[in-house]
Amino acid sequence: MAHPPMTLLKGTLDVLILKTLGWGPSHGYAISRWIQQSTGDELQIEEGALYPALRRLEEKGLLESAWQTTPTGREAKVYTLTAAGRRQLKAEVTAWSRYVSAMTRALEARPTGAIA
Amino acid sequence: MTRRRPPDPLPLSTQKPVDEDVQRELAQHIEFRTEELMAEGWTAEAARAEALRAFGDVATIADECREITVRDRRSRRRDEWFGALIHDVRFAFRILRRSPAFTLGAVLTLALGIGANTAIFSVVNGVLLRPLPYDHPEQLVRVFETSERGGASDLAEPNFDDWRAQARSFDGMAAYGSDVGTLLGADIPSRVRSTAVSADFFRLMRVQPVMGRLPAPDEFAVGAPPVAVVSYRFWQDRLGGTRDLADRRLRSEYDFQVVGVLPQGFGFPDESDLWFPIELFGRNESRTAHNYSAVARLKPGLTPLDADRELDALTEPMRAQYLPDFDAVGATVIPLRELEAGPLREPLFLLLGASGLLLLAACTNLASSMLVRGSARAHELAIRAAIGAGRGRLVRQVFTESMLIALLGCAAGLVVAQVVERGLLLLAPAGMVPIEGAPFDLRVLGFSLLLTLLTAALFGLLPAMRMSGVRPATAMREGTRHSGSRKSRRLWSTLVAVEVALAVMLLCGSGLLLRSFAAITRIDPGFRAEGVITALLDLPDAGYPDVQQAVAFHDRLLAALADAPGVVAAGVTNQLPLEGNQPSGAIQVEGKPTLPAGPFTGYAIYRTASPRYFEAMGIPLLAGRPFNDRDRAGAPRVVIVTKGLAEREWPGEDPIGKHFRVYGMDGGEEPYGTVIGVVADIPQGAITDARREAYWYPYSQNPYRTRSMKLVVRTAGDPAALAPMLSKMVHDIDPTLPLEFRTMEERLASTIADRRFTMVVLASFAVVALLLAALGIYGVVSYTVAQRTREIGIRIALGAEPTRVQRLVQGGAMAVIGTGIVVGGVGAVVGTRVMRALLYGVEPGDAATFGVAVGLLLLVGFLASWWPARRSAGIDPVRAIQAE
Amino acid sequence: MPDELDLLQGTLDVLVLRALSHGPRHGYAIAQWIQDNSDGTFRILDGALYTSLHRMEEKGWAEAEWGTSERGKRARFYELTPAGRAELQLRTTRWERYVNAVAHVMAAPAPA
Repeated sequence: MAHPPMTLLKGTLDVLILKTLGWGPSHGYAISRWIQQSTGDELQIEEGALYPALRRLEEKGLLESAWQTTPTGREAKVYTLTAAGRRQLKAEVTAWSRYVSAMTRALEARPTGAIA
Repeated sequence: MTRRRPPDPLPLSTQKPVDEDVQRELAQHIEFRTEELMAEGWTAEAARAEALRAFGDVATIADECREITVRDRRSRRRDEWFGALIHDVRFAFRILRRSPAFTLGAVLTLALGIGANTAIFSVVNGVLLRPLPYDHPEQLVRVFETSERGGASDLAEPNFDDWRAQARSFDGMAAYGSDVGTLLGADIPSRVRSTAVSADFFRLMRVQPVMGRLPAPDEFAVGAPPVAVVSYRFWQDRLGGTRDLADRRLRSEYDFQVVGVLPQGFGFPDESDLWFPIELFGRNESRTAHNYSAVARLKPGLTPLDADRELDALTEPMRAQYLPDFDAVGATVIPLRELEAGPLREPLFLLLGASGLLLLAACTNLASSMLVRGSARAHELAIRAAIGAGRGRLVRQVFTESMLIALLGCAAGLVVAQVVERGLLLLAPAGMVPIEGAPFDLRVLGFSLLLTLLTAALFGLLPAMRMSGVRPATAMREGTRHSGSRKSRRLWSTLVAVEVALAVMLLCGSGLLLRSFAAITRIDPGFRAEGVITALLDLPDAGYPDVQQAVAFHDRLLAALADAPGVVAAGVTNQLPLEGNQPSGAIQVEGKPTLPAGPFTGYAIYRTASPRYFEAMGIPLLAGRPFNDRDRAGAPRVVIVTKGLAEREWPGEDPIGKHFRVYGMDGGEEPYGTVIGVVADIPQGAITDARREAYWYPYSQNPYRTRSMKLVVRTAGDPAALAPMLSKMVHDIDPTLPLEFRTMEERLASTIADRRFTMVVLASFAVVALLLAALGIYGVVSYTVAQRTREIGIRIALGAEPTRVQRLVQGGAMAVIGTGIVVGGVGAVVGTRVMRALLYGVEPGDAATFGVAVGLLLLVGFLASWWPARRSAGIDPVRAIQAE
Repeated sequence: MPDELDLLQGTLDVLVLRALSHGPRHGYAIAQWIQDNSDGTFRILDGALYTSLHRMEEKGWAEAEWGTSERGKRARFYELTPAGRAELQLRTTRWERYVNAVAHVMAAPAPA
């Protein structure tokens, strides 16, 4: 790791959770592991922060949860994306793309209108 | 904006507790992580530490999770409830606005019902329910002797002492005697109620002076220097609130040293202003002289009945021991509250009951109009049911409408109540409702809110159930014809019958009061009140130490009045008619055997009067002559008797020339007087009371009570107009006398004011109930006709006579009205029994009164149903059938 | 017309540094620049902009001086220091990494 991991920007976590659950129902631990793995450990998430986020999303009606038995025979609280969650994910992905492209444009902009 | 989550499948309360859920999930995460790290080769301890570190502060995160969930659930539950409520209320408002006539009618009906109830209740609250201003007032009772004749009288002094010494039921027992007299020594001479009390009085009433002291024990003794305590009000108003009582002296019969001031609000009995030791009166050892009023405090847990029984038992040996100087057969113990409530108690409870009936009538009326509306809306409700609104939801919606109407009615009712109450207070006999009236306190407000809820439940729930019970398919197919169903019509019939029954009951009740009142106004009082003005002449002992000075005062005044302009006749007497029944005194009739009770021959009411009193009062002389100026002290003693006394004592004989005298008081040992005249029987107390036998001495021959006499002047014109002149003539002789004039007609009116009050209020309730019944009948019949237009059209098309159809429709209505009348009649027979005490000259369940009430209802019922039924005859069969 | 987006915390600093990298500007011109160069995507709250500028001054990434604006008004002009340029470099790299990391998640296939 050439660089220290970056703190996750506020707001991004929600997108990541929605995205992860877009693949299918999962429990909290699995979600956090998966986010870390797929970002190549570049993003640092305080694991605990995941849970308030999960609850917020659930209360917004974007997720549903139920206690289920995992394949390993353990009881775990499994979260599922609702239809509203799916719509929200789509909107968030679009917004993120716009955000990134806008940032990119700004960072690569030629010097114009500068007062010398 | 995020979408609202669909409702939980389970009620929120059955969900897993938030706390457990959070804890479990977080613990599991750490567990998973630890296991994974251990699989990578970490030691258990290190793995767990690393897992915890990576997780962050477990407690904070758990708190945050919990907070989010709990807050959300709470607000969601509230939102859902409020949201539905607001929706229902808005919807109800829209529905009600769509039919303003119905809404206005319903609200006004309720406003009348709730307003009447609230007003009556606020008076009841003010008069009957307000706690007496004493400590533990429920323990306070009045004690009376039960006399041989069954009445209750005050206590003889030795009897009081014996009962007080022996009774175990009481925590204390005190004697008192209260009277209004002229008092000097305050800012101006005034008439003040003063009360002589025994030593236990203040302890018993649990009252402590706010200033100064109570009379000391040794001041409750015969011969002790007179001391008195005054009321707070008297101290403030008449003594200028002075802190220095040291030489405040007040003079009436005694020269009092004021030693203390009692707390604000204390005025037992009858707003007394001055209290002093009863021993000042001296002692009377007779066991038949009923001089002491008695008040006692029950020991905790005992009832008045317990005390009554104990005193009855104590009386028996006393009676055996002291006869013939004993005329009690037992005791009567009455809670103070009952006596303090005064003569309005029975009427008020009657009116409260009646206003309840009125409200019931209003509810019934509304229930039936709600039903009518309900059927009109059956279609709408059916559609809503079909698109998935649950039955409970529909009931709630319809009930919300009722509730809304009830609340609007309540608000309007409070306004009505204010108006009605003001009217009640104007109408109510003076002094029967406390000056401060009946405040609208929280209890009254609570009462009317409770009424509103009850009302909404009564008139709203039944229609709500019925309306929501509509089966969607049937209603939608049948359209508005659904209401024609037999079941709804039966329900309506019941409601109309109930309204009629309530109106019958109220009409019968007020009819009885009306007849009583009429009977009372027809009573010949035995005197002629018109043109007569009266005033109390209360000559203070201090100013008139010798009773002959008082005689001289009256002689002078009457001489001056004899020639005064506008005066037809003037006289004085010690007691006016209607002023109150005093217990009869003993008399000795010459030549009659004495009674076992003592050396006298009977009882009669004793009065004194001036020569022209009978003329002034308009009491007709039936035989003999009136007093004249020669009937003076020293002249042969003369007496005038009532017709009743003459007939009792000398039946079949000429009473003129017979001899008798008063026994046991006021010159009873003096020579016999000769009967010189007979006058009509006059009411001593209430005009409805039996006329008691009475006799008069000339005040100059029997001057003992001459310090307190009533002036009676018969005038040529308006009696009140003469008051200034009379006042001047009295003050020419004694400028310090307080004077207050009242015409005899005012006195007469005030004795029946409580009856008039009850009658007017009940009659207005009855009129409103009758009106409601008429509206109910009209509404239901006209609706029925409208709903059955098609059926009636077919009948007419098939050849039925239109008039026959009309008779059929109206016949149905009259059958319902008849049922209501029968039920109401039975209710009235039972219900009017509680009114017995309020009736005069008519029995509860009086057939003639009931007949009129029934006739009135039949007439009103006929008209109210005839009008809409007439329309059925005019139905055009072709259009009626096509209209579908 | 797409909605404006709120700036994620932290990225505002990069944009400001970037805006100043072409020469001194006053606050209003910075906001203008950011808006123009992001096709109006970013909504910048004035308050946030000025806290950001003050933070930079404090950290020594920018220096401020009173001057006259193109419209002849007096305004406070900010100029990037060498430390500021280094910071811009660092932040730009970090932003790119961040975007890549998020893109990984966004683009990742479903896990097996």
